[in-house]
Amino acid sequence: MRLSELRRVSTFRLTLLYGVIVAIGMIALLGVIYLQSAVYLTRRVDTILSTEADALVRPAPSDTARRIGEALTLDGDQSNIFALFANDGHWLAGNIRAKPKALEPGGAPVEAAPTADFPAYARLIARRLPTGQVLVVGRDINQLREMRAIIASALVWSGGLTFTIMIALATLLSLAPLRRLSGLKLVSDEIAAGDLKKRLPMSSHNDELDMLAATVNAMMDEIERLLTEVRGVSEIIAHDLRAPLTRVRAQLYRLQQSDSHDSVEMARAVGQIDIVLERFRALMRISELEARHRRAGFAATDLARICREVVELYAPLADATGVRLATGAEQAAVVEADPKLLFEALSNLVDNAIKFAGEGKSVEVSVDGTPQHPVIVVQDDGPGIAASEKSLVLQRLYRGEQVRREPGSGLGLSIVVSIVRLHRFRMNLLDANPGLRVEIDCTSGLTA
Amino acid sequence: MPRVLIIEDDVETATEIAACLSAGGYRAEQSFDGKDGLTRALSQRYDALTLDRMLPSLDGLEVVKALREAGSGAPVLMVSALSDVDDRVTGLRAGGDDYLAKPFAPTELLARVEALIRRSQRPAAETLLTVGDLCLDLVKHEAVRRGRRIELLPMEFKLLEFMMSNAGQILSRRMIFEWVWGYYFDPGTNLIDVHVGKLRRKIDTPGLEPLFKTERGVGYMIDAT
Repeated sequence: MRLSELRRVSTFRLTLLYGVIVAIGMIALLGVIYLQSAVYLTRRVDTILSTEADALVRPAPSDTARRIGEALTLDGDQSNIFALFANDGHWLAGNIRAKPKALEPGGAPVEAAPTADFPAYARLIARRLPTGQVLVVGRDINQLREMRAIIASALVWSGGLTFTIMIALATLLSLAPLRRLSGLKLVSDEIAAGDLKKRLPMSSHNDELDMLAATVNAMMDEIERLLTEVRGVSEIIAHDLRAPLTRVRAQLYRLQQSDSHDSVEMARAVGQIDIVLERFRALMRISELEARHRRAGFAATDLARICREVVELYAPLADATGVRLATGAEQAAVVEADPKLLFEALSNLVDNAIKFAGEGKSVEVSVDGTPQHPVIVVQDDGPGIAASEKSLVLQRLYRGEQVRREPGSGLGLSIVVSIVRLHRFRMNLLDANPGLRVEIDCTSGLTA
Repeated sequence: MPRVLIIEDDVETATEIAACLSAGGYRAEQSFDGKDGLTRALSQRYDALTLDRMLPSLDGLEVVKALREAGSGAPVLMVSALSDVDDRVTGLRAGGDDYLAKPFAPTELLARVEALIRRSQRPAAETLLTVGDLCLDLVKHEAVRRGRRIELLPMEFKLLEFMMSNAGQILSRRMIFEWVWGYYFDPGTNLIDVHVGKLRRKIDTPGLEPLFKTERGVGYMIDAT
């Protein structure tokens, strides 16, 4: 894991952002406490200084020097400054020999650094007496300064610590998504390299990464399906069209060599070409259906009526083939669908059923299910299809082995699949024991 | 010799159509763009037109619309690569009389042009169709051959009506499926053969001269000769 990677993880960035905000908040809070307490303590000292000065001066200004001496004697821990200076600045009494330069009588209190006379930080005020002398009163403020320093260092430490904790937390929180991302990336690379069977790993969290992975996986399913279909088309072109074309070429070559106009041979060649054209037509029909995304032809459609019409259309063919064709669709079942396309799909199913069931068998077309969930059923008691082929025939352009030997494009079922897909219906191939049961669940197309 | 105007911008297709029509006994003339085709169709008398959908200068749909607005009743066969049902409907609504999707078999094109010309020459309100000794009464809804009434199912009646309206002319399986059943998809294997066969057995009973004729690989025809 590189730092540049870490920086790009949104969890990392978010946690860091929160960290900065929390740190700023804490610094602001401590700053306010610091300022408030410092101002309060300083004011208290100033009040004490002012009170002491008053106590020294008020009884008798001329007696100030003596009172200073007394006050100094009483100040056991020597935390106060009392001093009296003459008008010209000469020392008269007290425990400091010189007045700090910044200190002006009647002016604002000043803070003075430790000196030889008073080895501690002090806060001082000066008063001019009616005699013209200057009284200086001060107080040790080391405690006040220490407190300020404690608050200031708490401020710096808490800010720094919050920030550090947040960076650690952000890194920790980003590790899991990063690990999952690198897993996703690994699989994506494999897919990009051509392994379309691979799918993005999902966790049990169902979080945003899982949602994205699910979407990508669904997309991959569709891409894989389409590619399989494209491969199916290539296979049809390679096998099913090449075979009749090769035969035609051989027939034409024979005709060319023999110099005779053998009409039987020529008719055979035309027949082969017709097979090719029929397959092309079916392919074009499928691509037309696939390209049709709009539902312009959709209207309220009675499934039972379509079943009856298809049976009516195919009855003579069934008779001629020796297949019993019947319909059990009487009660109207109305869905939103394209009636012409549904008719085409059902025709293909019935055509297939008659073709594959064979003589002496029966085919029934009906509408099952409930009025809310109508299901078109085409069932025969013929040989049915192998279980292994059932899922394959639902793929676009799949042609079974049996179908290849029959006349026709062999793509009828593919057309049905395209029409069913266009309607967003569902088609199932079931075992009728014996025979095949094709069900088209028309639920999604129901009229409101 | 009936005259047919081919309005088609693709020279190869136009030549193919012309060759096919000439072989069928028509005088085929060609026009390679919409405007020129429209001018010629309006200034001269043609028995039928074949019209491509996509043309330079003026679209095929516009040509047929303009033709109908100008009062021309010449039958128009639209020939187009656009083969979807909706495209057919659009073409027919604009004023086309029939629609053929490319690529097409020459015999199919010829059959359709012939059907169109015959239809345009037939009186509109014909109620009695006759082919040899077979009569079809469209009002009484009955078919009679040599005085004997033939029982027909509704679809069989429709099929016979279509075939007798185009008597003497080959009708392809697709044409029959489109005109009689009104569907445009490929009906598969031998569905139409079976329907025609069943009707044929009712009409051409043993001992009578057969009226139904099969043109191998093309389609069917009903004719007295």
